[in-house]
Amino acid sequence: MDDTYDVIVMGTGLKECILSGMLSVSGKKVLHLDRNAYYGGESASLTPLDQVYQHFGKPVVGDKYGRGRDWNVDLIPKFLMANGQLVKLLIHTGVTRYLEFKSVDGSYVYKGGKIYKVPADEKEALASSLMGIFEKRRFKNFLQFVQDFDINDPKTWKGVEPTVPAKQLYEKFGLDANTQDFTGHALALFRNDKYMTEPCTQLVKKCRLYSDSLARYGKSPYLYPLYGLGELPQGFARLSAIYGGTYMLDKPIDHIVMEDGHVVGVSDGKDTAKCSIVVCDPTYAKDRCKKVGQVVRAICILNHPIENTKDAQSVQIIIPQNQVNRNDDIYVCMVSSAHNVCAKNYYLAIVATTVETNNPEAELQPGLDLLGPIEEKFVSVVDLFVPSDDGKESKIFISKSYDATTHFETTCDDVLDIFKRITGEDFDFSKVKHTDVEAVGE
Amino acid sequence: MDPDPSEGTVTISTFSNNVGLLRKCSTVSNRSIKMATGIPSYKVILHGEYGVGKSSIFRRFMNNSFTEATGKASTIGLDQCTRTINLPSQTVKLTLWDTGGMERMSFIGSSYYRGAHAALLCYSVNNKDTFSILSQYILDVVMNAEGAKIFLCGNMTDQVSSEGSANVVTDADLEQFMSQCQDVLSGVYRVSCKDCIGLEDMFYDMAKVLHQSSVSRMTLRRDMIRPGDTPEREVVSDKRRCC
Repeated sequence: MDDTYDVIVMGTGLKECILSGMLSVSGKKVLHLDRNAYYGGESASLTPLDQVYQHFGKPVVGDKYGRGRDWNVDLIPKFLMANGQLVKLLIHTGVTRYLEFKSVDGSYVYKGGKIYKVPADEKEALASSLMGIFEKRRFKNFLQFVQDFDINDPKTWKGVEPTVPAKQLYEKFGLDANTQDFTGHALALFRNDKYMTEPCTQLVKKCRLYSDSLARYGKSPYLYPLYGLGELPQGFARLSAIYGGTYMLDKPIDHIVMEDGHVVGVSDGKDTAKCSIVVCDPTYAKDRCKKVGQVVRAICILNHPIENTKDAQSVQIIIPQNQVNRNDDIYVCMVSSAHNVCAKNYYLAIVATTVETNNPEAELQPGLDLLGPIEEKFVSVVDLFVPSDDGKESKIFISKSYDATTHFETTCDDVLDIFKRITGEDFDFSKVKHTDVEAVGE
Repeated sequence: MDPDPSEGTVTISTFSNNVGLLRKCSTVSNRSIKMATGIPSYKVILHGEYGVGKSSIFRRFMNNSFTEATGKASTIGLDQCTRTINLPSQTVKLTLWDTGGMERMSFIGSSYYRGAHAALLCYSVNNKDTFSILSQYILDVVMNAEGAKIFLCGNMTDQVSSEGSANVVTDADLEQFMSQCQDVLSGVYRVSCKDCIGLEDMFYDMAKVLHQSSVSRMTLRRDMIRPGDTPEREVVSDKRRCC
């Protein structure tokens, strides 16, 4: 602990582990600490099931819901976009070799009290009762436009200036309010309607991400790792260790040591490890963060799949805000033993949204209603923090709390931005060289 | 047991698609993708106390090299390595995983154990402490890698000076340990990475044992995806629209 390092990373959440890996690969001497005895922090998958009960202060249940250690319960529900930034990071850093993924079975959207499958191909789109036959034509024209759009080639703009607001783009294609809801929230995955007044290129870009992700493996645009999301930070921690990073878990951290307005070390109360840069999650530097909102999440144990999903073993359901008179969408993510996160015949659903009222749990009700009978429910309301400065002077670089989005795009934006703030340059993937060679046979 | 899905030669034809949401379902392309098959592949994780020579075993496995360097720096860069081993009945692949030195000050994490077919528990034959603690490691393996076979490897046999030294792991110690947990050990070896003694025999024997035990419960996992090395659905501009 009393050694000297280039960077000390505190917290082993996904963002901190990716950064730790990238910094080690870039030749920095990294010490990575966590006050918990497990990897992952907020992005851990808790196991066995009793650990979840302890985490929420409930009496333990042992093997009541199948074997306790078959459970790996995420605290923050998210899926990976198959063509998204996290998948690119996994491939380019080689961390993909430590993990295994499966597709998520389906993606659904809520409309008028019912859920509809988001069509995964044209045949499903034609058969879907999500929109009428004429609306389908208009929607198809819109998708074709999105697919052809190239910001560098004005010919593909079809007379739409990239600066016009998204709302105007919808109007050009004559899409009705329901289709707008569906496109903005179930495809482009916007959390609220603020995007409507912003330039339409964002909408086009995000529809493309959905579409390109869907094209990669088929059933839905989403991937999810076997054994839960907690595998992701561990994969990046291994990358960091292989490039020389030192790990210390179960390490109480007393304070960050400052001198002349910038960081010089981290103390556990007895010893001080010296460093010139600190990277941490908001819980390690609360006085340097501000609260920007709250997220409410309900982790639910079910003993049946969700109704009207054709018994899918993993799904996402999006409830667009307009459908339930809210400002922010409600998200439902469900996974099961197909991804090795539950005992057989059980299902794990997480309902989450951004808090808007004084009764956060009630805000989840439209989502909870879709689940049917619930065996057990764990509700948490967590504060969202962002750093109050960019860290360039203090040399303390703090990640943002994990938001309510159901994918990792904003997570990766934050990571890449922090890396750039630290080093002044973009990450150079060519520095990753593994020993993963096929040795010559006998 | 779980052949690498990116390996092999069984081919299946897939649907050709236009991009994403616009894609057609009705045309079939001639392109085929390689799917799970053939060469069985086994994941073996190295485990044991810091400094017993796990990375030395890894180096011998990887390119039959040896380094006198010790400490953390000598482990940096070692990740995983796959080798083909020719058994009389079948060619198999062993993938050996090094710990990355994470056990030095901390925990390795459950992720390391996932999907492991075997753990090679290493100790130094002239350091009894590294041997006595192995029962704890066995527990870790049993908890985190269900069904994984456990092999025992005593390293540094070249350094045993006198059998009388109190710190040497004796045959009696070994026998006692084996009788305590005979059901869980699938193989016991003694090697010297420095003199290169016993290593090739060990790798061959592990491959043999692993393959024998898996033949009867061969399963294919066709839906497993590993971004970057799983074939993706083909994306082509569809010229043969038919509806």
